Amino acid sequence: MEYILKNGIVYDPANKIAGEKKDVMFKDGKIVEQVSSDAKILDVTDKIVMPAGVDPHAHVAGPKLVVGRIYRPEDSRKGVTSKTDVCRSESGFSIPSCPATGYRYSRMGYGTVTEAAMPPLEAKHTHEEITAIPNIDITPLPLFGNNWFVLQWAKEGKIDEIAAFVASWLRIVKGYGIKIVNPCGTEAWGWGGNVHGIDDPVPFFDVTAREVIRALAQANEMLGLPHSIHIHPNDLGHPGNYPTTVNSLDCVKDIAKNGSKRNQTIHLTHAQFHSYAGTSWRDVESGAKEVADYINNNKHVTCDIGQVTLDETTTMTADGPMEFDLHELNGLKWANKDIELETGSGIVPFIYSGKAPVPSFQWGVGLELFLRIKDPWQVCLTTDHPNAGPFIRYPRIISWLMSNERRQEMMDNGEVRVWSYKRTGLGTLDREYDFNEIATITRASAAKIYGYQDRGELTPGYNADIAVYDLNPNDIDPSKEPAAIEHAFGNAMYTIKDGQILVKDGEVVKVVPSHTLWTDVKGFEEQEKTVMEEVMPTFTRFYTVKFENYQVQDHFTPNPTVTEVKASK
Amino acid sequence: MKIITLTLKKKSQIALEFDELIPDKVFNWEKADFENYQVPVGNRRFPLTDYFDIEVEGDAASPEEVKMILDGDFGRVKYIGCKMSAGEIIVNGDADLHCGAEMKGGKITVHGDAESYAGREMKGGELEIMGSTREFCGCSYIGDWRGMSGGKITLHGNAGKQLGECLSGGEIFVKGDCDILAGIHMNKGFIQIDGDVTRWPGGQMKNGNILIKGKLGILLEGFVYDSIVVDPEIDGKSFSGKYIKYNGDIAVNGKGSLYLNAEKNREYL
Amino acid sequence: MAYEPPVTDYDEIVENGTCAFCGCNCDDLDFLIKDGHVVGVRHACRLGASKVMEDMDQRLLVPMVRDENGELQEVDWDTALDKAAELIAGSVRPIFYGWSETSIETMKHGIHLGELVGAVLDNQATICHGPSLQAVQNVGYPVATLGEVKNRADMIVYTGSNPMNSHPRHMARYSTFPRGWFRQRGRFDRTVVTMDPKYSDTAKMSDIWIGFEQNGDYGFYNAIRAALRGKEIDQDFVSGIPKEDIMELAEAMKNVQFGALYFGLGLTHTLSKQRNIDMAIEMLTDLNKYTKWVLTPMRGHFNVNGFNIFMALEMGFPYGVDFARGYPRYMNGETNTIDLLTRKECDVFMVIAADPGAHYPGGAVKHLAEIPVIQVDIHWGPSTEIADVVLPGSFIGLECAGTSYRMDGVPIYMKKAIDKPETCRDDEWIIQELHERVKKIKAKEAAVASK
Repeated sequence: MEYILKNGIVYDPANKIAGEKKDVMFKDGKIVEQVSSDAKILDVTDKIVMPAGVDPHAHVAGPKLVVGRIYRPEDSRKGVTSKTDVCRSESGFSIPSCPATGYRYSRMGYGTVTEAAMPPLEAKHTHEEITAIPNIDITPLPLFGNNWFVLQWAKEGKIDEIAAFVASWLRIVKGYGIKIVNPCGTEAWGWGGNVHGIDDPVPFFDVTAREVIRALAQANEMLGLPHSIHIHPNDLGHPGNYPTTVNSLDCVKDIAKNGSKRNQTIHLTHAQFHSYAGTSWRDVESGAKEVADYINNNKHVTCDIGQVTLDETTTMTADGPMEFDLHELNGLKWANKDIELETGSGIVPFIYSGKAPVPSFQWGVGLELFLRIKDPWQVCLTTDHPNAGPFIRYPRIISWLMSNERRQEMMDNGEVRVWSYKRTGLGTLDREYDFNEIATITRASAAKIYGYQDRGELTPGYNADIAVYDLNPNDIDPSKEPAAIEHAFGNAMYTIKDGQILVKDGEVVKVVPSHTLWTDVKGFEEQEKTVMEEVMPTFTRFYTVKFENYQVQDHFTPNPTVTEVKASK
Repeated sequence: MKIITLTLKKKSQIALEFDELIPDKVFNWEKADFENYQVPVGNRRFPLTDYFDIEVEGDAASPEEVKMILDGDFGRVKYIGCKMSAGEIIVNGDADLHCGAEMKGGKITVHGDAESYAGREMKGGELEIMGSTREFCGCSYIGDWRGMSGGKITLHGNAGKQLGECLSGGEIFVKGDCDILAGIHMNKGFIQIDGDVTRWPGGQMKNGNILIKGKLGILLEGFVYDSIVVDPEIDGKSFSGKYIKYNGDIAVNGKGSLYLNAEKNREYL
Repeated sequence: MAYEPPVTDYDEIVENGTCAFCGCNCDDLDFLIKDGHVVGVRHACRLGASKVMEDMDQRLLVPMVRDENGELQEVDWDTALDKAAELIAGSVRPIFYGWSETSIETMKHGIHLGELVGAVLDNQATICHGPSLQAVQNVGYPVATLGEVKNRADMIVYTGSNPMNSHPRHMARYSTFPRGWFRQRGRFDRTVVTMDPKYSDTAKMSDIWIGFEQNGDYGFYNAIRAALRGKEIDQDFVSGIPKEDIMELAEAMKNVQFGALYFGLGLTHTLSKQRNIDMAIEMLTDLNKYTKWVLTPMRGHFNVNGFNIFMALEMGFPYGVDFARGYPRYMNGETNTIDLLTRKECDVFMVIAADPGAHYPGGAVKHLAEIPVIQVDIHWGPSTEIADVVLPGSFIGLECAGTSYRMDGVPIYMKKAIDKPETCRDDEWIIQELHERVKKIKAKEAAVASK
């Protein structure tokens, strides 16, 4: 089937197209330069056309999500809709059911989402949920930062072993890249403790976060994985944590990049939670300037923000100790899920109210980072869904970024408390994003950061993943019309995935199965074999499942999109 | 004033659901509208006229001007007055699950017993039940820590288990006896029980007041003796007599108060 | 117990099979196979082994439909499936119950069928760990995988649970006896506590037995929490336990390195039901201020947790999900099987891999005897006696592969070892087939209605 998207105004940052009126053509699911006269014409005159959205960090599928859904029926109840001819029933606000997750991303014009924390032992569960989510492709990142094998080798500086282990494990659990969450801290939580800063050794293993981050970064570049290490540093949410953040980024500065498409060697996730100065919640101040300055001066770093959206939501992370602290703070129900030899996690509902000082402050810090980081290719829009707010608020964040007037209005009329500008630099920043920058931080930069070679751009040969928004960029002043911006980005005029129209005028009109993106390392087989011989006796003794039953069988990824990497060593 | 009278002529074994038949939605309905209405029953809808004789008298310009009279055994009619904000509903018989759930205003009177979940998540208005209720009267939705937050429930009979669970405001008065765990997880509001209580009132309560005029079976260890109070005044209401005051539940660092009639509970002195 | 010589006469061994009995899902079973049958099982406990070994005992082999004389008659698959589909399509308040002894793959077809007709989907949680799930929804869910406990725990508490009889390998493979990374001496490095009114077999081999009185659970845990907050206990005995013992136990629990609490139906089904668990979870949360504690419900059927996980990921609610109004609804006491049966609301009941005839309270079974019941199962049981349509399925984890979730949420793909009897069908196929047939009937009805 051939199509022409006619007369749209195209924003395709990867191809340096910033608001040009031109046609976009696709055939058999791919972008093409030419179509025949039989092509079906979709008239999108003067509407915004972008590659479909790419979300670099969200929690959408896996064991934590389901614990959240099981233990928060009051949240599930909020989003309940009746089934339609096309869609099944939806449920959930902050933790939508799997079908709802797919429909809602699709309605916003998104095509690809990263599931940012897959515990290897329960990877089959994550894949089951990915299969249950329609319409968006999903990239799961397995957790390595507290894995006992990794901790031991990192202590001994055995990078080859770590690289071989990662190569094997990505294949065994069908994962895309290396996720690190509170390195050493989550292992310390196995005993109810935590670590502070990157040089605080974890009990028993006696290794520090600095050693683990460096070792995994070296292994990552040794293999030349498409994505860099993806890190949630220590001390999340603690006042005074920005030096830990900067140190975590800086400790890999000397490691050479080995990946064809990306520029970075480390991706900092939900930077907002990691950019606080001060010593306690009493005297907390924004550290956004310091973190942004570091990012502006160092091209080996990219980040996403984790913007607070001022909603009641559900926090969930593999940072187990942080979640218990949060429970101590707000007293709401605490769930925890520790995974043998690998990781942990915690879940707590949280109400980010603009009427309270701390959420207002966090809201300000997130926006401050967006506005201070100069190069949009180094930053992505996220809410760390559902941690700082549900992903359905992306359009609202876009409206904030495009309108200084709206931000000032919120601070003036009390929608957020004074800490939003008194404790942050937000009040002094009047930068407004334009549509091209929005297109960068919501799709192009994420695609580049992940090294995707088939999406995130409207380049011929790439997947026909396209979003059309019902806005005429020459006719609207986003600064003055935030509500219109939010509405348009929340209800795509068209969402096209692999050349199929999935959404029309904000309604899902077609449901298709999602793809699972994972990385298959080639050329490291010998090292992998050796390392597996070392791993197996320990595996057999200390895991509670047999290795045969640990692996993710092929049928758990019915629609795989495999990135083959030729290990260069 | 519009008076809508539904008189039961056939009781369904599968419960009818009345969430669409509240004053807010039907104040401008004519008799014909009711006769054309199909009521949810299980996974179908059937004509309302299969089950009721319908009378409509007078006119209403707003829900406030509506009085619905439900004559007969409504023990298989769920969600009576659910989410209503104004008007009045009188049930001359029993009511099924969720009677007055999430109501915001107006009044419901049940001249019989009400099943579980009466007054669940009530925000305002008045619910009066001449008979008894079963479990979870005036409670929250499962999982939510915010329960009934306003309004008043008066129960002339007995209350079942977990009355006022997660109570976050409003008042509950029980003229009869009460089963276990009244006011469990409550954090605000007032519960008064005139009759006897089996055991464990105020389990895991964080705040609010519970007053018991009758005899208590077992008190929780989480309650700490405070003082003997005479003729206490609680939430602006005066009570005569001598009460033992406890604070709790300290298991959750609770700051709630439990008042126990001293005469009837001498063994606790 | 008489000595049984080891089985040596077999054709092949299938290793790493998964046990389809309790929530432990032990995945280290070796099936010894001869002539297409399992003649021996290695590593399994007696419960698991006997389920596998006696797979042909009272086996349902052919579809059956009850005739007008009330006798089950053998019929062909088409007849049985059409009859079942017709009953489901015509129902007003259908319940599809069970699912805990079948695969996630089967559930996938079940939920589509449920959404299509507006049924209630419910599983055994409704009669076992439902109260646990309610408590989890109220106060939280601090869990860990079984291996965390094996590798770290120095105190194990079983409350209202008797794993020596109900989950025989729980202590042996996961919690008490195995040598863990940080517990190299296994049992000797751990203190085992049993809290149970009954001096059970588990209590007998524990270091400490707390025999609180029946229905005393809530008061007992409340007292431990008060003691943890530093309160001097007022009453000399709480729930039958001397106050000194309570103070001492609270202190001991505070001073371990890693504690794990496992609870069973003894806690969920006494007077204050979900509130016992509620209180126990909060006690455990309190303990985490001092050291590390985790808990896990001792789930009974091998995939009972799987259904809860599956329903939550598909629809946001774990069990008792009612699709009658065209959207999912979850309300304890309203959308659960037992309530709908004792209120005589249900008009067609389909049971998949469960035995309500054996497990339900009398009132509920009485109503089942009065309405059409469709049974999908592998064995003849009390439910067969009240079934109107019987559809013989296959044995998951032996005759048919499938996914299940262990009590701690670890997913396992249970592989196939032998072929099913020729006349049986896989559960997955049966439910899918029913879905297709009901869809056809509904489409026909819609076509008639639109005319």
